[in-house]
Amino acid sequence: MGPIVPTEHPKTAVIDRRYSVLRNPWLHLAISASCTTVSELFMKRGATDTAHISEQWSWTGLTTLGSPLVWIGIVFVIVSFITWLYVLKHMPLSVAFPASQVIHAMIPLSSWIVLGERISPTRWCGIALVLIGLAIVARPVARLEEKL
Amino acid sequence: MTSIALLLILVSVAALVCGELLLKHAMQSTIAAGFRQRTFIVFLLAGVIVMGVYFLLTLGLLQRFDLSYVYPFQGLSVIFISAAAGFLLREKLTVPLVIGSLLITAGVVLVSIS
Repeated sequence: MGPIVPTEHPKTAVIDRRYSVLRNPWLHLAISASCTTVSELFMKRGATDTAHISEQWSWTGLTTLGSPLVWIGIVFVIVSFITWLYVLKHMPLSVAFPASQVIHAMIPLSSWIVLGERISPTRWCGIALVLIGLAIVARPVARLEEKL
Repeated sequence: MTSIALLLILVSVAALVCGELLLKHAMQSTIAAGFRQRTFIVFLLAGVIVMGVYFLLTLGLLQRFDLSYVYPFQGLSVIFISAAAGFLLREKLTVPLVIGSLLITAGVVLVSIS
């Protein structure tokens, strides 16, 4: 790998300060995580809809492409990836990646709300741990931004 | 059978870690030099390919094994990525960051085994 520019470069810190709310990397992280969650829901629905088409080909996952819901899911995956690249540009990876794991709380929660799936007590504990961890990871960074 | 599965899981986690590092390096290079330069294009392409390998490996693993077997290991990727970001990208690993990351890892493992 070539020379690596440190993330907290003074020049970028000044530019970051001038960013409006729309350019806030945390907003993009939220969009990225939400798009991943929505895409999973669409793909789950689409995959269930097309499960009966061909048993012979179902193992490749290709039969799911017959469902428009899966394609909507793919669009959300692409949006999620582009916003994730924006997040990577403006946030340290050691903060952004743990924070992105919030999807492991969002996906079961939305499956519960939208798809009516059941959440076991152990899973509730896991969701709580992810959210507490996220709050701890995000807090020092938020305080740093306030100081700037 | 199990040892092959473990090996595949380790390779998929390694691919995820490498992919994220490559993408981070690609995006980091755009801050100073913009998007029309070789480092960005080469590292972005490499990152996308490695993430593709990770995606296919995970799908392949999920076809053969339960989510509750495959995903707890993926949860560990948080630790590997934070460590790699600290050592390779020279990011500052603060105590709250480490504690928060460990809690998130434990949460992801609990969510996936339940």
